[in-house]
Amino acid sequence: MKNALAAEWLKLRTVRASWGVVAAIGSMVAAGALLSWLIVQDYDSSPAAEQAKFASADSSVVITPVVQFLVAALGALVATSDPRLTALIAVPDRKRLLAAKTVLVAVTSVVLGAVALALSIGTSRLNMGDRPPPIAPWDGIGDVLPWAGAAVLSILVTGLTGLGLGLAVRSTAVTIVVVGVLLWGLPAITPMLPEPWDVDASAVMVPYLVWEVAGVVEDPPLAPLAAVGVLAMYVLVTLGTGTVTLLRRDA
Amino acid sequence: MIEVRNLTKRYGDTTAVRDLSFTVHPGLVTGFLGPNGAGKSTTMRMILGLDRPTGGEALVGGRRYADLDRPLRHVGALLDPAAVHHGRKALDHLLWIAASNGIGRARAVELLEQVGLGGVRHKRIRALSLGMKQRLGVAAALLGDPGVLMFDEPVNGLDPEGVRWIRDLMRALAKEGRTVFVSSHLMSEMALTADHVVIVARGQLVKETPMEALTRHGSLEDAYLELTSGRGL
Repeated sequence: MKNALAAEWLKLRTVRASWGVVAAIGSMVAAGALLSWLIVQDYDSSPAAEQAKFASADSSVVITPVVQFLVAALGALVATSDPRLTALIAVPDRKRLLAAKTVLVAVTSVVLGAVALALSIGTSRLNMGDRPPPIAPWDGIGDVLPWAGAAVLSILVTGLTGLGLGLAVRSTAVTIVVVGVLLWGLPAITPMLPEPWDVDASAVMVPYLVWEVAGVVEDPPLAPLAAVGVLAMYVLVTLGTGTVTLLRRDA
Repeated sequence: MIEVRNLTKRYGDTTAVRDLSFTVHPGLVTGFLGPNGAGKSTTMRMILGLDRPTGGEALVGGRRYADLDRPLRHVGALLDPAAVHHGRKALDHLLWIAASNGIGRARAVELLEQVGLGGVRHKRIRALSLGMKQRLGVAAALLGDPGVLMFDEPVNGLDPEGVRWIRDLMRALAKEGRTVFVSSHLMSEMALTADHVVIVARGQLVKETPMEALTRHGSLEDAYLELTSGRGL
C-alpha cells in the first residue's frame, strides 16, 4: 500500500494539470481577497443606512463552490490521467490501487480545502477588521469554524466524487461535465420546481448541504447530521460505481 | 516460466481465445505468432491479469500475476508504448512505476542511460519519437530486473537500428536465463530472434515447437502460412 500510494503521489505531482488546479485554487483565494477588500472599501464610503444592507465580506463563501469543482477535477485526474493498462501492470492488485487513489484524493482534498478556507477566511478577517455585522458575519474564530468545517467536508466529498466518477466513466472531460451539472446545473434548476419539491430537492444539493451541515440555516430542511448523511451518499454512489467498474471490468 | 492452461476468453458471442494451453520456458526467446486478431494480445493481457479469462488460467512462476508481491520484480512487460501520460517527463514516468514496486531512483536513471534515453530524461514523452517511446517502454519492463519478460509487437514502427536493438536485447536477456515471450506477425524478424514458437490462429493453438523443427524444410514464413491457412498439421 505504501508503494502504491507513493506512486500515485508521484503521478499526481508530475503532470502539469495538477499544478494548474492548485494555481487555479490560489487564484480564486487571491480574487476572493480582492473582492472582500473592494466590498469593505465600498462599505466604508457608504452612508449608515446602506451599510446595514451590505452583504458579508467573507470571501470563503464565494470561493468554496469553485474549490469544490476544482478538487473534483483533481479527483478525476487521479482516476483517468494514466492509461489503466500501465497502472494495472505496475499495481495489479486493483483493491490496493483503488485504496491508494482514494487516500491520495482524500488527503489532497482536505489539505487544499483547509488551506484555501484558512487563507480566504484570514484575508477576509483582515479586510473586515472590527466592523460590525452584516459585513462582518462573525465575531471570532469560534463563529466561523462550523462553516469552515462544513466547507472542507464538502470539498472532500467533491474530490472523492470526482475520483469515483472518473473511475466509472474513464474520461476526464465527461467527469468534469457531470461534476459541473451536480454542483452548479442541478442546484440552479431545483428552486424552480413546484412546491414542495423545490425545497426537498434543493436540500440535497451540495451547495445547500454545506449550509445545512454547518447548522447556520434557520429552520433547515435537513438537520446537520442528516445533511452529512446525504453528502456521504454522494461518495457512496459515485465511488461505489467507480469501485465496481475498476474491480470487474477488463483494463 | 509462463504456463497457460486451457485459457478461454469470450466477448459475448465472439470467442477471442479458445482452450489455449502452452508453456514458455526460461533461457529461450519464445515467439508468439499468429495473424491479426488471432488472440495474441488478449492472451498476453490475460497472463498479466488485465483481462479476466472466461475459463482456464495463466501462471507466471506458478502464481497468478495479480497475486505476485511487487510484480515488476518477477515480470516485465511492454504491451503498448502509447499507454503513457504524454505530458509527463520520461524520467518521471519511470520513477512512478519504480515507486509502485519499491524500486529506487538510481535504477530508473541507470536504465534510461542503458536504453539510450539519458539525454532526453527531462523531456516530456510527447516530444519523443516512436522508437524512443519503445525504448522507454523497454526500460519500464526492465525496472525490476525480472526473470520473465513479455513484449507485444515490440518492433512495430521501428527503424532498422531500433529493430536490431530490440532483437539483440531479447537475445541477450534469454542468454542470461530469463524467460522472453514476444508476440509478432513479422515472420522475418521472428526467424532471426526466436528459439521456440507458439503459433495461434482464430484463438486456438496451431503449433508449439522449436524454431529449428519448423524451419528444417523451408522458411518460417512458408511454414507459418501453411499452418495458419489450415493446410498444415
